[in-house]
This record gives sequence, C-alpha cells and structure tokens, in this order.
Amino acid sequence: MHFSPWTILGSLALALPAGAAPLTGGGPVVLRASSAETVANGTLEHAVILVEDGVITAVGEDLPVERGIPIIDLPPGWVVMPGLINPYSRVAMDGKGKSDSRPQAQASVELYASHDDYQDLLEAGFTTLGQYPAGTGIPGQAVALNLGPDGPSVALDPAYLKIVLNASSSSKRMLRDGFEEVDEYLEKEAKNREKWDKEQEKKKKSKKKDDDDEKDDKKDDDEKEEDKKKDSEPDVYVPLVPDPEVQVFMHLRDGTLSALVSIDNAAEYLHLVDAIGEEEFAWGLRVPLTRDINLYEVTDKIGERGLRVVVEPSLTLHPGTMRQRNLSSELARAGAKLCFIPRFDSVSGHEDLLLHAAEIVAAGLERGAALRALTLEPAELLGLGEGRGSIEEGKRADLIFLDGDPFEVGTKVRAVMLDGEFVTGEVPQ
Amino acid sequence: MRSKWIRQTALGLGLVSLFSLPVTAQPLYTSVDDDDEEEEEADSEEDSPEWFAVVGADIHDGRGGVLRGASLLAKDGKIEEIGYDLVLPEETEVLDASGYRVYPGLVAVKSSGLFGGSTDLEDSVDPFNQDMVLALAAGITTAEQSNQAAKLKRGEIEGLVMNPKTSSSISFRSSDPKGKRTQRERFAAAAAYLRAYRQWEEDVKKDKELKEPSKSGIDSTALAVLRAEVLPWFSADERHDLLEIARLAQEYGFRPVIEGCGEGWTVADELGRAGAYAVVTPRYRRARSENLVRAGGSSIENAAKLHAAGVQVAIQPASTGVSLGGIVGRDIMHLTIEAGFAIRGGLSEQAAFEAITIVPARLLGVAHRVGTLEVGKDCDLVVTDGDIMHYQTFVQWAVVDGKEVYDKADELFFAHIRPRPESSIAPESKVDPGEEVVEEIEEVKESAD
Repeated sequence: MHFSPWTILGSLALALPAGAAPLTGGGPVVLRASSAETVANGTLEHAVILVEDGVITAVGEDLPVERGIPIIDLPPGWVVMPGLINPYSRVAMDGKGKSDSRPQAQASVELYASHDDYQDLLEAGFTTLGQYPAGTGIPGQAVALNLGPDGPSVALDPAYLKIVLNASSSSKRMLRDGFEEVDEYLEKEAKNREKWDKEQEKKKKSKKKDDDDEKDDKKDDDEKEEDKKKDSEPDVYVPLVPDPEVQVFMHLRDGTLSALVSIDNAAEYLHLVDAIGEEEFAWGLRVPLTRDINLYEVTDKIGERGLRVVVEPSLTLHPGTMRQRNLSSELARAGAKLCFIPRFDSVSGHEDLLLHAAEIVAAGLERGAALRALTLEPAELLGLGEGRGSIEEGKRADLIFLDGDPFEVGTKVRAVMLDGEFVTGEVPQ
Repeated sequence: MRSKWIRQTALGLGLVSLFSLPVTAQPLYTSVDDDDEEEEEADSEEDSPEWFAVVGADIHDGRGGVLRGASLLAKDGKIEEIGYDLVLPEETEVLDASGYRVYPGLVAVKSSGLFGGSTDLEDSVDPFNQDMVLALAAGITTAEQSNQAAKLKRGEIEGLVMNPKTSSSISFRSSDPKGKRTQRERFAAAAAYLRAYRQWEEDVKKDKELKEPSKSGIDSTALAVLRAEVLPWFSADERHDLLEIARLAQEYGFRPVIEGCGEGWTVADELGRAGAYAVVTPRYRRARSENLVRAGGSSIENAAKLHAAGVQVAIQPASTGVSLGGIVGRDIMHLTIEAGFAIRGGLSEQAAFEAITIVPARLLGVAHRVGTLEVGKDCDLVVTDGDIMHYQTFVQWAVVDGKEVYDKADELFFAHIRPRPESSIAPESKVDPGEEVVEEIEEVKESAD
C-alpha cells in the first residue's frame, strides 16, 4: 500500500502554492534551521539536516554542506521537529464495539481511507496514526498508519493488542483465559507430536521388519505394494493450527505483539497486575486522566516497571479538593514513559495537542519528556520506534516545521515533510 | 518525639524500656513454645519477617483488660507479644504511641461501599476507595460487604477476604405465613435427613453395603444451618416474630441472628434461652401498637436488657455506608456514637465495646482473627487520642495486618482538627504542582524569611 514517489509529486504539484519550498524529487536536500528538536539528542542550534531518499542521513550543528545540494533555509525562529504521532485514535472511524474477547479482530478492516480527517490531521502535524478497534473486553488489534496526501497507508498491522480491564472477576478471567488457551493448545500440540513420533517409530520398525522378511519371503507382493504407498507419504510433521484468538496470545507471549491495557483508576492497575500474575509479555497502559482520578496511588509502581502510559495532557484534581495535580509529570518522574494523545479524539483535538502539552510543560513536566511523549514514545508503542519518532540518522524524514517553540502559545505547524517530501504548508524562501 | 514513626535500625533502641535488662524481660503473654520458636527462626531466615510494634500506649485488649504504658509486638501481621519490656528485633517498625490508647479495630457487622467494587470483593475491591479511608478514620478495620467478611487493607488487593460467606438470610415473618410454613418444613426435612445420616454412619460400620441417605429435596441452607456451618440471618422487630424465631431455633437447635430486634427487650429472656445474637440499632425508634395491652415499641434499654438476658448484642448504625449528608451522624462513621446510645440505655461500656468488636467478629465467623487484641490474632488495631467511645476522640492511626493504613495527619479529612503537635498539616504538600512551582514556592519562602 505504499505510494510511489511519483504519485506524491503529482498531487503535490497541485497542492503546493507558488513560492513554496522546492520539491526535492527524492534527491538529497539540506534543511537548515535555527533550532531543531531531535528528541533523541536534545535541541540543536543552527541545525543542519541532510535528507536523502526520504531518510535522514546526517544531523548536526553547523555542518558544512557539499556544493550542489539544494538547501532549504528555514526562517529565523522556526523549529523543526519529528512529525507528531498519535498512537491511540479512532478519528475517521465509527461504530461501537462489543464487550467480549475477540483478540483476532483488526482495526485495519474498518478504515475509511478516503476520510477527510486524515488530511486535516496531516496538516495539524501528525505523520503517523495508531487506530484501535472499538469495544470493551479484548476488542482486538490496532493498526499503525502512515498519513499522506493521498490518504493513509498501513505502516504496521497489527501494531498492538488493545485490552480493556476493569475490576471484576469476569474481566480478569478474560485475560487469564487467553493465556490458558495457549497452554491448552501447546499441550494438545505436544501430545499430537508425541503420537506422530511414535507412529514414525512404528513405521520404521515395521519397514525394517519388512526388509528382513523380504529376504526370506517374497510372496505377499500385494501387501508390500501397500506398504510402499504408506512409506511414500512425506514424513514431515504438520503441527495443529491454533485458533486465531489463541495465535494472538501466542504472539503476546513470544514478544511479536505487545498489549495496551486500558484501565480507569489505581485499583484497576492492581487488579491488572494480579490478573497478569506470572505471565510475561510486553504491555503498556492507557489511562484516561479523568477529573479526579486517583492514579497517583500507583505512579511509583507504574514507574518502577518503566511502563509506557498513554494519557491526555490534562491536569487533574486531587479527589475531594480543588487542588490540581500534574499526573503526567508525576508519572514521568517516577520513571514511566509518557505518550500524549489529544484530549478529544477529533480533528480540533489533534490541532490543540501541542498547546495542551505546553500547559503540562508549564505546570512542571520536563520538556524532553513532553517532546518524547509526542513523538518517540508513541512510535515505540506502535512498534515503529526504529524508523521514526526522532531526528536521527537512518530515520524517516517525517518532519514538521513550526514557526516558534513547540511549547509556546501561538506556535503553529507551518509545513509538514513526509518521507523527505513537503506534503502540506510552505516554507517561505 | 512524641507519637512519631521511628524506624528502628540500630541496636540502641532494641529495648523499649531502659529500666530493665533484656534478661529479665517477661512478656505477659507468649504464643509459642521454645521449640516452635527455633523452627520459626529457621523459616524466617529465608524470608525475613516483618516486625511492627506500638509502644508506650494504654493497650485495651477488648476483653476488659488495660495495660498502661505497654507495648504490642507483631510479626508478619500477627500479634506476637503484648506486655512490658518487650525486646524488639532490629528493623522493627515502631509506632511510638505514648499517651495514646490502643484498641482492637472495630468490626462492622454490615457495610456497604467501603470496599467499592461489586459482589466479588477479591476481584473488584477498590483499595484506594475514599469510603475505606473514612471508615478507618472511624476505627473500623473489618467489615462485612456482600456477605463476605473482609479487612480494610488499603492499597492492597490480596488477602482481604477473611470469610467468603458470612451468613444465610432466612425469611421468617408473620406477614408471610406460607413462607413461614415452608421454612419450618425445610428445617424439619433437614433435621430428619441429619438423623438418618447419623444412623447410617453407625450402621455402615456393620454393613458396608448400606447406602447413604439421599440428599435430594433437602434445603441446603437449612442443612448448613443445622450443621452450624453458617449462621441463619433473620430480620424481625415485632415481639411475636421474635418469639417464633426463638422457638424455631430451640426446636431445631441452632443459634439465630436477629437483625433489628426492636421489641427484643420485651422477650429478652426467650431470646437469651434460644442463644440468639441480636443486631440492634440503639437509636432505632418504633411506636408501640396501641391496640395491644402488652409492652411494645422501641426502648433505649433494648441492648442492655438483651445483653442482661444473655443475648449476644452487636450494634450497627442506621446507615451501613458512609453518608456525608442526610443521615449524617447515624452512618457507619458513627459506630461508637451508636454504641454510646446503648450505654445511655444501661448497657455497660465493656458490653457496648464488645458489640462493635468481638460480637460482630463472631457473627462474621472471624473472631479467631480479629475483635480483640490477643497473642496469635491479627494485628488490626486503632490508636486513639482518648476513650474510643467518647465523641471527641479521634483515631490517630489505624493498623491492619501490622501495617499502618491510616494516619490522621496524612489524610485530608481530619488533619486540620486538633492536629497532633508535630504534624505538619499541609495537605498541599501531597499535591504535585511540578518541580518549577515547588522551586518558586521555596524561593518565595526564602525571601520571606
């Protein structure tokens, strides 16, 4: 589902107004900015970024530029940073889910690729989007999308398994049962294998016997014919095929899939840990920061595990009071990895994400943690951390250009570069 | 250092009293033989036990005894010793409660909402529930909810349910004569079955071929009650209902629990003879029936008269939940106040205290673990700044399973009312404004200095 560069160019020729930044056409191009938020290596002043074939190949301060490479000089005060990534959205999707366990369900089959919202998100600075299946219980697998001018394309499917846990025995059992079914399958499979092995042994023995008999007796030709037929069957063991929902839990166990568990309060975190028990798999948390949530009771425990936590950049109230708490900051300081998602899962919510993140930074969250929460951590959550989420050599040139500090009120996303191509906005030359 | 947590790390504080030598230390109660102790020590080397001690307090053991200025030592949540001059192991978490009083945690015979969650407490409890904090502030450490007896363990979801089925409710009231007959028939059938079963137990020794009597058609609740596996829970106020329950209980030989028991004082003797438990609300009021000549209606003396007749009295407030409006003052946060009204009616203070500790514990089937402070029982206690039955008294600390679960100075609710001398009542400090704001505040403070 990837586009060829030519289709992008074609559409861009129409989309970009005159006076926009030159199209690079896939050749090398250098970006020079007075400031770049690399996310991985802090803020660079007088940053020089070399982009070749849609990939960042060099980053540094005041790097010399080879003659002949086109240079795009950003206006003074502009900042370049990695494209925003929302790992947890249902924008442009509709429908309600169910409340049972259907881990094999996929969000990717319910996408409306031609929905206008994707273009609006791109213009708001989002370059990658994670979309999750609706419902409670175990609603299914999320998909990671590349946003592009021609609509979204699949970056990774599945990206993670969404699980909704609440404090009840049925909900906890749902999670336990998932892994128990894997155990049952493995046991069945082992027995099947054993049985097959024994049959093979028998066959070998009978064959040997036949060979011995052959020397003495050559009468029963018909029988031999049959035996030969049996022997000619390929001696390759075919394992039992697990049910699709069992497969999903097997992937959780072998580490090829991670889980994002949605909880609503501190108690549910304890119940989640209790339900997981000895089971080992990669999991993160989604916690809606509601008005007076008591998550502070378990921030230390979440931090100890270094969990990735998906939250809105919102201040909450200490229960029973009107005193504000900055749970994002508390989580980050305890050692958790934050992922920020818009307060409202709508286009305007996405447009406000930077502003709301700025509020949290103003209220005490460390700047670096906030930047990571908008880019690298969501990329990691989606399983795309190797190729995007920061300005580093070897990563995709998914960049956004801001006309000021990202956490300054009034800063706007002025242009977006995807895979080394400007897809929206303009850079005045 | 009055009343402050001190983490004991050095040998220096190993002895609580400096006036006596460890050799002469004689705990008043000891739980284990020397042999056992050695074994336990061997075990404990693998996973070091958690020690907890309250020192210097007037310890009310809940059975009428008071040890002035004594200490209590708990190991892994169980009371190890109560007495004077205890040798505290290193690493003991010590609560210096000099000048305060220690009581067993109160037991709420019924509650709602303290554990949050739904009927399956173990899997749905919210141990950060605000009502739980408020109940601890009221001195309650054990409560019934959804027919389960559980501990108010804060921040933990494991090990809170002590009895998964506390009672079986039985409907037996004069307004439903048919239902009453059905109940009688159930008990009769269950009793007949039990007789047949016992006979079979004897006979089977001689003839191994004999078949066990059939259980079909036998009501499992009635059978469990007759086997004393579960307490039958009746709800009745009227004199003739109470009498019928007493007769039923005597006929079939079980101990009934009667909730309400409003006119119990008029038939206290009968209830006492039936070995009944009464769950009463002393502030409950009902009018006497005007068309009857006999005594009736509610009486302030109800609890006292029932107790005098040998009925085990438990006290519950009008509302079993935490009510912050409407019925405020008569909710579960006012268990001691409710008991105070029984005292006004003539019940002794000791009996009134037992009515909110050991009697409910017996009713819930957990009297072997909570309800009094005794060696071997759970270290569930409250530390108060006065007589626990006094309306001015505050719970300063609550301890469950040898762990502090409530500290008045640390919670928003009562920290500001008569604060402890050393308590820095700054609930603001619990709220995290972020590093920069904290720095700013400190700068302002410095400039003010």
